[in-house]
Amino acid sequence: MLSAVSPVVVAERVTKWYGPRRAVADVSFAIAPGEIVGLLGPNGSGKSTIFRMLTGYLVPTSGRIEVAGHDVVEDSLGVRRAISYVPEDAPLYDHMRVSEFLHFMAGIKGLHGPKARAAVDEAAERLDLARVMRLTTGKLSRGFRQRVSIAQALLGDPKVLVLDEPTSGLDPHQVIAVRDLIQSLSGRHTVLMASHILPEIEKMASRVMILLDGVLLTPDALKDAAQDLALRLSADATEDAVRSATKTVAGVREIIADPSSAGRLLIMAERRPLLAEDLVSALVAAQIPLRELTELRPDLERVFLDLTRPEAAA
Amino acid sequence: MRSFAVLLGKEATALFSSPIAYVLMTVFLLIMGYSFTLTLFLSHQPSMVHIFFQMFVLFMLTVPLITMRLFAEERKLKTLEVLLTAPVSEVAIVLAKFLAAMSLIVVMLVLSGTYAAALAWFGDPDFGPIYSGYFGLLLFGSALVGAGLLASALTANQVIAALISLSVFLLLWIIDNFGWLLPSPADTLVVNLSLSVHFRPFAVGSIYLSDVGFFLSVTLLTLLLTVRALARR
Repeated sequence: MLSAVSPVVVAERVTKWYGPRRAVADVSFAIAPGEIVGLLGPNGSGKSTIFRMLTGYLVPTSGRIEVAGHDVVEDSLGVRRAISYVPEDAPLYDHMRVSEFLHFMAGIKGLHGPKARAAVDEAAERLDLARVMRLTTGKLSRGFRQRVSIAQALLGDPKVLVLDEPTSGLDPHQVIAVRDLIQSLSGRHTVLMASHILPEIEKMASRVMILLDGVLLTPDALKDAAQDLALRLSADATEDAVRSATKTVAGVREIIADPSSAGRLLIMAERRPLLAEDLVSALVAAQIPLRELTELRPDLERVFLDLTRPEAAA
Repeated sequence: MRSFAVLLGKEATALFSSPIAYVLMTVFLLIMGYSFTLTLFLSHQPSMVHIFFQMFVLFMLTVPLITMRLFAEERKLKTLEVLLTAPVSEVAIVLAKFLAAMSLIVVMLVLSGTYAAALAWFGDPDFGPIYSGYFGLLLFGSALVGAGLLASALTANQVIAALISLSVFLLLWIIDNFGWLLPSPADTLVVNLSLSVHFRPFAVGSIYLSDVGFFLSVTLLTLLLTVRALARR
């Protein structure tokens, strides 16, 4: 996909040291226009540092980052014109009213007069801010602060949106609203967002990168998850009987007891056409009565836990 | 240019909507008014030389309070991330904060102009030293604001920012007293760093290019270092 369209964000061997501590180590990735990419990692894994380097707030110690064709070090202003950033905790000027803050942000993004008003009105409408526009931002709830912060990022129609923990601190209704909003941005903007909450990122992102201790473990965890197939099997037979019946089926790697469902088995296999049909044929040939054979959907959690468990990371 | 005006508007609004600006102006005018009246009644001279020296000291005490929050507060509240990732240059951000702080200095100078007006109304003062004194205070104020801005850009703690600038100002105020004790040519070098050595001629009616150059250089250097401090992250 990336080879067909030139990427809008490119990071090449990016490393960042804070004094003696290495926060980001040799990270490389590319993001195509219109993608919604999630950056997943535990707290302190370097997600915010990567975002701060992408947006020009921090300078990489080594490596190169390009956003919309602009180098973050050589042409930081060019990058900042193409990218909008919602930092973690939604920092706002607490003495400003919401409308004043949005107009200020529009102004420094080069929107003035009627253009600024139109952009602010559109952003306020998309984020449902009409009833708080006259309140000072210091008096807003966590959810509204987050929405105001996202609204400022949408001003000026940036090519790339970078959202650091966009749903943290929000209640379930607000989480759903923000999730819907981010999904609605797909295509129009390229979105890169960080989270340490796995189900959230799984629901929003079209691609998930996993970061641990500053190291990018995979640029596409969903693809990794999809490479392996897991089938849940329920049959009137012992684990050994099933194993012996299916040992001739190509692609079957492992058969284990399903830890989440007693009496059922999990068949781990390579993804290939007609695998399920071959399994059924093998079981029927061995006269094993089959009650259920279900394909489990790609499990990001499994990939994340596999990649981030200490022995895997070591 | 319009983006810069937006930045300047935001900084000026933040400064003039905070109580600190009004507290500072009130204290400044109270002290200066008392001092002006006392000096006038005791000396019976229509001169502002003493007032200028007092304003010189008061500026060193008040400018750290004006500049301490300019970057330190933004860094602490993380709004600096919003500002520095917006498509405005670090130079524009620093200049907007500098000019906003200078506007408060100018307001204080204009308000103190009532003393000069009173002298002109009731007496016949020599306006030469008055003009040069105000010119000197403006240059001196800009050097202090530049240095205060740099201190504020270096930390997220406003109190530390204020203490850094206050310590530097007080040191540079009295540094000539130590400078005279040093052997040549170190004495000339150190004495020429003194704020009072460069301000004194303005207060008494003399404008030297070297003094103007000193204050302008300090202003430019500190502003450049502030931009550098912001850009080098």
